[in-house]
Amino acid sequence: MRIVVGIKWVPNTQAVRFDPKTGTLIRAGVPSIVNPHDFPAIELALRLKDMYGGEVIAVTMAPPSATQGLEHVLGMGVDKGILLTDRKFAGADTLATSYVIAKGIEKISKEIGPVDVAIFGHETIDSSTAHIGAQVASWLGWPYVYYARDAKLVEDGKLRVTRQTEKAVEEYEVNLPAVVATAIKALKPRPVRLSYKLRAKIEKPIIAWNIEDLGLDPRCTGLKGSPTVVANITWMPEVPRKKIVYTPKDPRDAARWILKQLFSDESVAGFLKKALWGEE
Amino acid sequence: MSEEKGLKPIKIEDLLQRTVYDVDEDPHIEIIDERGVPKELTMLCPCSCYTTVGEKLLYSYEGCLECGLCRVLSEPWGLRWEYPKSGRGVQYRFT
Amino acid sequence: MSSQTPTKFDVVVVGAGPAGASAAYLLAKAGYKVLIVERGRGAGTKELFGGKIYAEPLRTVWPDLDKEAPIHRWVTRERISFVKGERVTTVEFKLGRKVAFTTYLTEMAKWMTNKAVESGAILVDEVRVDEIIVENGRVKGIRSGPDTIEADVVVDAEGVNRILLEKLGLAEKIKPDQVALGVKEVINIGKKAMNERLLLDEGEGLAWFMVGDVTAGIPGGGFMYTMKDTIALGLVLHIGKAYEAAKTGELKHTVPMLLEKLRTHPFFSKIWGDADVLEYGAHMTIEGGLRYMPKKLYMPGLVVVGDAAGLLLNTGYTIRGVDYAVYSGKLAAETIIEALESDGPTEENLRKYEERVRESFMFRELVKHRGIEKVMEDPMFFTKLPAMLNILLAKLYEQDYEEPTVLEALLDSVKESDVSLSKFMLKLFSVVSKL
Ligand SMILES: Cc1cc2nc3c(=O)[nH]c(=O)nc-3n(C[C@H](O)[C@H](O)[C@H](O)COP(=O)(O)OP(=O)(O)OC[C@H]3O[C@@H](n4cnc5c(N)ncnc54)[C@H](O)[C@@H]3O)c2cc1C
Ligand code: SF4
Repeated sequence: MRIVVGIKWVPNTQAVRFDPKTGTLIRAGVPSIVNPHDFPAIELALRLKDMYGGEVIAVTMAPPSATQGLEHVLGMGVDKGILLTDRKFAGADTLATSYVIAKGIEKISKEIGPVDVAIFGHETIDSSTAHIGAQVASWLGWPYVYYARDAKLVEDGKLRVTRQTEKAVEEYEVNLPAVVATAIKALKPRPVRLSYKLRAKIEKPIIAWNIEDLGLDPRCTGLKGSPTVVANITWMPEVPRKKIVYTPKDPRDAARWILKQLFSDESVAGFLKKALWGEE
Repeated sequence: MSEEKGLKPIKIEDLLQRTVYDVDEDPHIEIIDERGVPKELTMLCPCSCYTTVGEKLLYSYEGCLECGLCRVLSEPWGLRWEYPKSGRGVQYRFT
Repeated sequence: MSSQTPTKFDVVVVGAGPAGASAAYLLAKAGYKVLIVERGRGAGTKELFGGKIYAEPLRTVWPDLDKEAPIHRWVTRERISFVKGERVTTVEFKLGRKVAFTTYLTEMAKWMTNKAVESGAILVDEVRVDEIIVENGRVKGIRSGPDTIEADVVVDAEGVNRILLEKLGLAEKIKPDQVALGVKEVINIGKKAMNERLLLDEGEGLAWFMVGDVTAGIPGGGFMYTMKDTIALGLVLHIGKAYEAAKTGELKHTVPMLLEKLRTHPFFSKIWGDADVLEYGAHMTIEGGLRYMPKKLYMPGLVVVGDAAGLLLNTGYTIRGVDYAVYSGKLAAETIIEALESDGPTEENLRKYEERVRESFMFRELVKHRGIEKVMEDPMFFTKLPAMLNILLAKLYEQDYEEPTVLEALLDSVKESDVSLSKFMLKLFSVVSKL
């Protein structure tokens, strides 16, 4: 089985802070990490490889600094890393990104060997769109299952993907090749291993492809290929926390007190009434 | 907090916000037996990771600065203490 | 694993700190196959120290240090302040030559490790070593999770917490009296403001040690170092005594709050005002080097360097750990090269490492300052002396009409700070003789 897993090199948003004086975001000196929601995807890919053999190829569209992120996942047991990198990819929205990644997957299929599954995380912590998996599937014309928690091969070479929604566990059987997106925290990732990391350092199995390698039209990539326009961003105002300590007589009293507090706030009360009783 | 006049003190949660972490899913430190872990850590742990609720000593690993102090002050059977794996945990930049 | 990937190295170095990086650099440069295993994400990401490094021992390893290393400022001024409440007595010394520089250890460790990697060493980061493997009384290699790597020699450069060395039985469990806790904030003051407020020229730096109230009765002190455009501000606290003070309830503030109080201290905070704190962190260090030294610094197939070996001089007002770590790494590398060129890393051959350490300036200084930690633990030094000095000067200067003689003021201040004069002179002598 040849499995591609898409990862994104994102700023560690925990470390991004508001400057108390200027009110802007401080991004300087914030190190990047592999998008945390990509780890279930990586883990699923590695499990499929454990079960059926083959190889796992991590793909990312990013500047060269993302090599560090590729090395991290190579340390987990991923076999190859592919860095789709070009100045002309910069400023891409999800459409232009998924286009480059889809073309990257096509090139892998052609030059390295046919890809059976492409797996993505649910979304990224720096933009939270959850578009990429679906868009790659549509560029490639492959079936797509998201919110996946597990997957295995069944008869006729189909992939059975377990998907969990709020109310049910669903199982889908799809023909390969297919695209899968995992749910947040669906699988616990394995740690980085000395032997894998050492192999990565020595064999350096990271390939970089630029726009010419992929044969893409620059009008379809980066800022130019991005129809999305960010009209405005409004930061959520920080709501100061009230420090209230209430010692309830019993659980019933506690529940009553909490409800009373919630309903005493007009906007919360409105929201609750709508959610609980459908009242407007 | 600080009684000094003039400058506003920074709360520990806000201070730790300035330090970068890549928090692991698994805790690297765990209280195994409270009797082997001194309550004084609520005063001494530099990230105030230890708190008491009533008589009970609680620990949360997310803000740990990996200094090793609690390991030194605890009995070996009181605490499971390891460095985080996979490069996770605190990520110092300007120290 | 593919056949290309080796499972055996000439030398495996545990830890990419100053000690490990210097050993790895010299060994790789001499043509040996060296693997450095570091738990952090890249070298330096788990490092925190005060801020000042003595350059000369580092130049013996990297002669181009001054040109290439990430040096922030050369220390041209040293200050000591004795603090009692809002009263502060400060002594400042302008150095005649450049001896030490300030930097971030996060940057410095990265630079040193890069030097090793450029010379051919392989750095595997994000991997924690779990065990040093011993077979038949000889170190065979290391284990991390399910993986093992063999080596002719393992260099243990794991730093002060030395978990591996404890597991190996070469070091005992750390006692609270042997170590100190350092906490540090990095304050973003900006180059211009710093130079103006501290009267520094471009590239010039200030090292500042504060003793007295700042540690709330716990032995230790405060420190401040000027970086390129930030200030490193911190406290070092004796752990054993801090623990006692917490137990008796004498310690009224949490450790982070003590640092908070120093940052907002009406005298010191004038320098940085409400400039933003960029980072906060903590790290442990050693109180008395000799007491922390393991019984042996070597065994067949193993040498111990840097903090793990107790090679750090802590005089109370200065910590010299980085230069000692680098120098011990150099002595280790020299010994290993000799051993590998003759009949291998035997007990006999690696003993020469410990001999070299004992003949070096490091051991000489550690012996000379032996017992300094006992003096520093004495409240006479870190509470009463600062109090007395400030009362003395208050007697002299905080007067509306009277002008007491110096002798009058001295006698008064001795009385008020609860110091017996004869004991004080004796103590002063013992401090001075060990510094
Ligand atoms: C508050 C404070 C102030 C100080 N001030 C100064 C000063 O001003 N000047 C000075 O010269 N010195 C100072 N020091 C001392 C100095 O920081 C140390 O002496 C020096 O860093 C020791 O170097 P090392 O290489 O032995 O250990 P470290 O620098 O601690 O490096 C050890 C490395 O090993 C890694 N490691 C540990 N265990 C493992 C494992 N199991 N697997 C893989 N990797 C592992 C760590 O991540 C780390 O990178 C100070 C220390 C402190 C705490
Ligand atoms: S290692 Fe240090 S920072 Fe982490 S919990 Fe223990 S005392 Fe606190």
